[in-house]
This record gives sequence, C-alpha cells and structure tokens, in this order.
Amino acid sequence: MKPTGVLFFPAFDWAITPTHPEREERLLYTRDQIFEEGIMDLPQIREYQPGLATLKDIARVHFCVPDIESQITEAHLVSAGSALRMADAVVTGEVKNGFAIVRPPGHHSMTVVHGNRGFCNINNEAIMIEYLRHKYGLKRIAIVDTDVHHGDGTQEIFWDDPDVLFISFHQDGRTLYPGSGFVEENGGPLAYGTTINIPLSPRTTDEGILFVLDNLVMPILEEFKPDLVVNSAGQDNHYSDPLANMCFTAQGYARLNQRLKPDIAVLEGGYSVESALPYINMGLIMAMAGIDFSNLKEPDFTPHKYKEPGGNREILQRIVDTQLRVFREREEKVAQTLAKQERPFRMEMRNIFYDTDYIHEQQRVELRMCPQCAGFKTIVSSAQHPSGKTYTVGCVSIPFQACPNCQAEGQEAYQTLQNGNNELAYLQNKAGDEYRVIDTRTKQETRL
Amino acid sequence: MLIGIDVGGTFTDGVLFDDGRILAAVKKPTQADHLQESLLEVLDGLLAAADGKAINRIVLSTTLVTNLLVTGQGELTALLMLPGYGLPHQAYGVSRDIYFLKGAVDFRGRVIEAIDQRELQEVWQDIKQKGIKRIAVACKFSNRNHSLEQQIREFIRQNDPEMQVTISAEVSGKLNFPRRAATTYFTAMTMPEWNRFADRISQAIQARIADAEIHILKADGGTMPLEASRNQPCETVFSGPAASTMGATALSRDQQNSVVVDIGGTTTDISLLIAGQPLYASKGAQIEKHHTHINAFAVRSIALGGDSVIRCRENSIKVGPMRIGPAACFGGDEPTVTDVFNIYFKLGVGDSGRSQESLESLAASAGMDLQNLCFFVVETVIERLKRAITEMFTEWENEPAYKVWEVVHRRKFRLDRIIGIGAAAHAMVPVLAEEIGVPSFIHNYAPVANALGATVVRPTLALHLHVDTASNIYTVDPGGLKGSLESPRKFQLADAKVLALSCLEEISRQRGIDKYTVDAGFFMEEQFNMIRGWDRVGKIFEVGIQVAPGFIEEYQGVSE
Repeated sequence: MKPTGVLFFPAFDWAITPTHPEREERLLYTRDQIFEEGIMDLPQIREYQPGLATLKDIARVHFCVPDIESQITEAHLVSAGSALRMADAVVTGEVKNGFAIVRPPGHHSMTVVHGNRGFCNINNEAIMIEYLRHKYGLKRIAIVDTDVHHGDGTQEIFWDDPDVLFISFHQDGRTLYPGSGFVEENGGPLAYGTTINIPLSPRTTDEGILFVLDNLVMPILEEFKPDLVVNSAGQDNHYSDPLANMCFTAQGYARLNQRLKPDIAVLEGGYSVESALPYINMGLIMAMAGIDFSNLKEPDFTPHKYKEPGGNREILQRIVDTQLRVFREREEKVAQTLAKQERPFRMEMRNIFYDTDYIHEQQRVELRMCPQCAGFKTIVSSAQHPSGKTYTVGCVSIPFQACPNCQAEGQEAYQTLQNGNNELAYLQNKAGDEYRVIDTRTKQETRL
Repeated sequence: MLIGIDVGGTFTDGVLFDDGRILAAVKKPTQADHLQESLLEVLDGLLAAADGKAINRIVLSTTLVTNLLVTGQGELTALLMLPGYGLPHQAYGVSRDIYFLKGAVDFRGRVIEAIDQRELQEVWQDIKQKGIKRIAVACKFSNRNHSLEQQIREFIRQNDPEMQVTISAEVSGKLNFPRRAATTYFTAMTMPEWNRFADRISQAIQARIADAEIHILKADGGTMPLEASRNQPCETVFSGPAASTMGATALSRDQQNSVVVDIGGTTTDISLLIAGQPLYASKGAQIEKHHTHINAFAVRSIALGGDSVIRCRENSIKVGPMRIGPAACFGGDEPTVTDVFNIYFKLGVGDSGRSQESLESLAASAGMDLQNLCFFVVETVIERLKRAITEMFTEWENEPAYKVWEVVHRRKFRLDRIIGIGAAAHAMVPVLAEEIGVPSFIHNYAPVANALGATVVRPTLALHLHVDTASNIYTVDPGGLKGSLESPRKFQLADAKVLALSCLEEISRQRGIDKYTVDAGFFMEEQFNMIRGWDRVGKIFEVGIQVAPGFIEEYQGVSE
C-alpha cells in the first residue's frame, strides 16, 4: 500500500500584518499536534519538503499587475511551489494521495491580480492544476472547495473551462464574505454546468454537509469522471471558527475526506487556530491515509452538541435537485447557446473588490463563442493601486486545448491590445505554454 | 594524558593520547558477554604504556545498552500511556505490556481530561500481579505539563515504594509522543543493568587510577560524566559510529563537505560532515525499528566490510555479508574484500601471497579468470558504497523545512572529499573516491580514529525552552523543569534567551560539566504573537541552546 504524502509548510516567518488572522501563529498548534502525535513517523505517511514555484507557473494562471514580483512574496512562491511538489508526488505515483498543509492561502485570487483579496494573492490550486495539465497532460480535473467562504477566485479562473469542474459548498453569500457563490452561478456560456455552488445556511452541521456530499457532490464526480480530484481544504466550517458561523466538527471533516477521497488536498482558510485546526488537520491526514480516526475529537466537543437547523434538510434537498439537473443538462445547454449565438463574442462588464487591499477593479471581458474549444478570452482591466497609480491593462488568455482559430486570433488580439489606453498588454497562451507582457510605451517585452 | 576506549561489536580499541600524539593504541577482540573484561584489558594495556603518568580523563564508548535493547534483555517494564485524543491506540506498539489510561493534556499544557483513579488502581494491581517491577509513564504533551505523569508516579510511590517509575517528561521534552514513550520505556528497562555496569566500572577504574574523570560517549558525539549517565542510559546507544564520525572530524578539522566512510571488519558506516559539522538523524536514533528522542548522527550502515567473505554460490560470486575471520593476507582461511583490493590494486597489505593463493583457488572453483573475479568484486563493492552515499545525500536534501528562509536558501550538497577511517580504509577508500571524482583523505591514525574520537570530544548538552506568556508557564527540556515568569506581559525574546542560558548553566552544574557552557550557542529562536480577537494576549517562545559536539581544549589537532 502506498503512503499518503504530507507537506507541512507553516511559514513561521510570514504574516500579512502582526495581528492578522494570516499570521505566524496560525499553524503553530497544528505543528504541535501533528508533531506530538508522531504521525509523520508512521509507515502510512511520507513527509515532503516544500518547493518553489517559478514565475512561469504563476503566469500560467495570473495576469499580475504591474508584474508578478510586486504581487507576491517568497512565501507565496513556497506555498504554491509546495502544492506543485505534492501534486508531482501524487501524479507520478510515489504516494496514493497528498495533503499540502501550506500558507499563505489562495482560493480568492482571480485571473487578474491587482492586490490581495480575502488574504490571497495567487491561487495555489489553480496554479497546480495548470501545472499538471501542462506537465502531465491531465485533462479533466475536479475541485471541491470545502472552505466556508465561497472560492470565488478559483470559480472565476475556471468559469469558462468545461474541463475543470468546480464545486464549492460554503456559508450562504448573503451572510458571509465574499458574498457570492449562489445556486445560479453555473459557469460561462461554453462551460455551463461545470461550476456548481452549494450555499449553506449558517449553523449547518456535519449532517447537512455530508448529506450534500453523498447526494450531490459524489454523484456529480462519478458522472464527470475526472482524472484528478482536488480538495481546496478550508477548515473554517468548524463550529469554533471566529470568522464564520457553521457547525462542522473535526470528525465531520475527516468523514468528508474519507468519502470524497481527494487525490490532493491543499489547505485554504481556517482561523480557529487553537480549537479547530490542530484537530481538523490531524483528521484530514488520518482520513487520507486510511488510519482509524474514531479516537479523534476536539477537547470541548460532546456528541449532539450541535443540531442541524430546522428545515435545513428540505432546503438542501432542493439545492441537490436543482444542481443535479444543471449538471446533467450542461452539454445540451451549451449546444443550445452555440446554436442561438449570433455574434462571435460574448461581452461582460465586471467590478471586483479587493477587501484586504481596498482596491476596486473594473473589467471588460470578451469570450470568443467558439464551437471547437473553450474559446480565447480578452480582459481589459483597470484599477487604482494603493500607491495611487491607476493601471489599465489588456490581457489575452488562450485556453489549454485551444483550436487553431482561437490560437491565431488570440495572438492577433495581443497585438491589438498593445494599441489604445493599455499600459501593459499580456499574452497567456496555455496551448503553447508561452507567456508575454509588453510595456506598450517602451515596447519592452518580457517572455516566460 | 587522555584515554579513550571504544568497545565495538568485533574489537575493542583504545588509545593513550597526549600533546597531539597517540602514544599507544591497543586492540583486543570484544568478548560479547564480558564487555567489562574487554574494556579493562584494553585499559590495562594503555595504563602500562602510560607508565604511571597522570591520566586526566577516560572516555568510554560501549555497546552495552545497544546490546540489551537489541537482544531484548532489558528488564521487564510496563508502559503506561496517556494518549488522549488522536491516533488510535494500536498505533503504539513499542511494548507488549502497554496500558492505556485516561487523562489528557493539550498543546498549551492545559489538562483536558483528569486521571481516573479507579482505572489507575486496577492497572497497577495488574502490573503487580504480573511481577513487573518497573513502570514507564508517558502522557501526550507532558513536555508542556507533566502534572498527570507526576500524579501517577505519586500514586504508585504511595502504594508500592519498591516500584521504579520513570516519567517521560524527565527523559525528553521534545514534541513526538510515540518517540518520547519509546525512549522512556527503553530508558526504564536498561537503567538497572546500566547502573550495575556503572558501579562496577567506576570501582574498577578508581582501583587503578584515583582521580581521572570518567565520561561516557553519547550517540550525539559528545560525552557525559558517568554519574550523569545513570538516569539516561539510552543516550549511550550507537556511540560507536559517533566515535568514528567525531574521530574523522578530529583528524580533518576543516569546513569541508565530507563523507566519512568507516570500513570495519563486517560493516561499513557512512556519515556526512556538512561544512565540517556531523549531520544528525532528523528523526532521532532508531532502536528496534522504533524512533526515539535520542539525538544521534545520521549513519547508514551496510553489511559490507574488509573481512566480508568472498564465496562462490550457484555459479556466481557473492560478496559478504558474513565475516568468517580476518582476510587471508592477515592469516584468515578464506579470501575477503580486503584480499581482492590487495591483489587488484597491488596494495601490498599483509601477506599478499596469501591473498593471491586464496583468490586463485576460489577463481578456479568458480571457473573464472582471477582478474575478472577481482574486477567483479571491486565493482560490486564500489557500487554498493556509492549507492549508500547517494541515498544519504538525497535524504539530507529532502529534509523538510518550515520557514520561507529555509526553503529559499536551500543548498545542494556538493561533496568535497571522502574521509576514510577504520582498518580497511587504506585498501578501499582511495578507489571509491576516484570513482566518485573527489579526493580522499586517510590519516595515519585512520585505523584508530574511533578511539581517538572518543578520547578528545567534549561534553554536549542541548536545552530547549518553551515559554507561553499567556498561560505564564515555561518548561525546560531536559529535566522536565517547569516554572512561571515574574512579569509575563513584559517578557521578550531576549529574556527567554537569558532564561535558557541560566537553565543550561544550572543543568551543567548538576552534571559537572559547567566549564563547557562558555561555548554554548543558540540553535533556535522562535517567537509567536498570540492573538485572540484582534488583541495580543501573549507570546510563545521556543528557544534552543546547546554546547554542540566539539573537542576539549587540550585537543589542538594531531601533530603527525
């Protein structure tokens, strides 16, 4: 039996600010717990060392403004790089599955990065997925985001990608940051049904979340048949989390992972540093390694401590029915959209708010309505940075399995975006694995 | 004058050292059942050479505890474990006589579950009925709060003053409960025999020389006074490889990256010097497949030595792993690895004619050309050594790291040199080094480097201080000392370092090694703000200070 890989990178020398929830102390007690348990010494576990992501790994996902270096610290390179190391070990078969317990987190980071959103600068899972597709040719990947906050960054990055299934359950966006993740958010016109949101009422317990897992998440995964399942493993559904209002337990998290059987889990949020994280992280490792976790619990937990809110089962059943239908109709819906489509591009205007850095970004997004592939996309983005300077940039993204037309037209769009008001123009050619940025005034181009 | 004696599995080596020179070296076969006799035989040989001159210090490295543990001859010991919540109980398998008790402490040192007195009473009755006379107690997070372990010891003392109880907080304060439990269990079971040995050996030595300091070599390459070893017998395991590695360090004395290859009769031990400093096993010494908290060098042993016999089995040549006797060139009956290197590289070791004869007769029986046979054996030996060395590099490079700084500044291991020690090093190490493409270093004293290492190393002591200002608790490892701060709200990292140093000085005084604390250095300084809500409620400090492995002041290198 192959072991489970564990990569523990607590970044004991990195914090957003000294008193921020994302501070050095966050994984201190988790360190104490997993080291005291001696779980890394067991034959079922193999510990891995952190790695460093390259700038190119980041450029596969993000358009960082004005450049990657000014949006990240070394800690981000290690955190993302550690997810890549874990992924390498899983995909090459060194381990049966792997858990990267890393910080800083990433699931609120979107394609264009002007600053920090929801404690995140770059999206660790998205970087890992693009890396795996590029390096190993994996095609279909499923992400199950189990953080209490909607994984709006990951959703946005794969919004138009029909080969990446994004499922997020989270506390209802009407009651919690980032205020999105509603049932109606189902993905872009060519990727309809591969974004599935499950907003949960506050105080939902293990019972409710496991009901959704068994009746919605697992059936969808079975039908989607992904090459790889990723758990974007936030731990803030816990009853003691200070930033949210759910009632999930360490046992519940362990059971969820025992049933979900993710190939790779990457830590996201979770800020109950003493009462929850040490126990949830133990539970996750044990569940993934197939170790009996019946002796695991939080010291203050008693059975039946929390009761599922009244009427919750009916609400969840409705969500399950709706989302199963959405998922099963997805190909039909996309075909209808393409048949009705008259214009070659679909345009959308968006406003994005960065809570940590207090930035308002405006975007104009155009997607090529391509019948052959996911379609190339252009984004013109404008935002005032905390420095006072306003950046306007034009970005082209050519998808991983782009058709020849989208590849050629995407290259042309990169040239076009160099004229006009854009200070910087970006080309993200995932099909050819080439990434360029040009300063439109000096005409200086950098390539990765 | 200084004496160092290394009781190895096959031979006992001793040297008499003074003023940069080895004045005498004595080598005797080790009598496995009479370690003390072997040791004294070598000591007497050295004392004869000292000719009545004063001996300042004797350092002993012995396999006594290792043998007790490996052969399962330690005293019958019950292990009481308080694992609280977490891994299932079947994860802990160090002893047959494990009892699990209620009672739990968390990472902050808070008691989260009390001991069940009735359960304890029942367990104690059962242990008594089995006729077990020693108990080891290990509670998860007892390094943060050992009150539950102490309650259990107190209960047993009151009910049965004869019962010997060892608690884990006093054995090791490092995180890792299974390792701490195993270390405590091994400590408890070897303590009686070790103390009997300590009694006899100190008597025997004092009968010969009145006021020499007697030290015992530890697995971490440092010494401890014999008296201090009485409570920590397990620290003496694997002191043989430590003696060799420190011997190689003593002979090379520089900042290079080296592989130390100690080629003995039956085995070869490989260790690494990174910038001149021996590398430690990150998971501690392993005893009977159990990880422990004993700080030991990272040593890879392979069953291949100068005396490994060469035989022909089913039409193919087998190299070792057995040792039948010495090499043919030294009067053995069968050809060994040493004989092959002797002939193939024309080394002229011992009686080369005997090497030639024994190998020719083997080649004839195998139907092989002598040259081909030798070539095959040399290739096999070099290949196995190379593989072991490469594996060690990779392991070192793949050590986990927990800080951004460590990951960004990670270095690849660039090998500068191979240091050969042990009796057969002259024959094999130069070839190995050439194969790998680095210089080799084999000192004249290479055959007795282990005994020399034992002779000149200084005492070591590593201390870890954990401070939690919110709970106003500090704990110290080793010793399980616990205390509170005068003004926790004002306590800073600098204060933690002062406290750590004073604890180190106190423990050094108790152990009689206080003159070495001047060389102490900090190896860990961590601080964490504890934030609840948006306010700082306290700080956690982790401070490590140590007298690292090194050499006594008298040792300024060898003069020849």
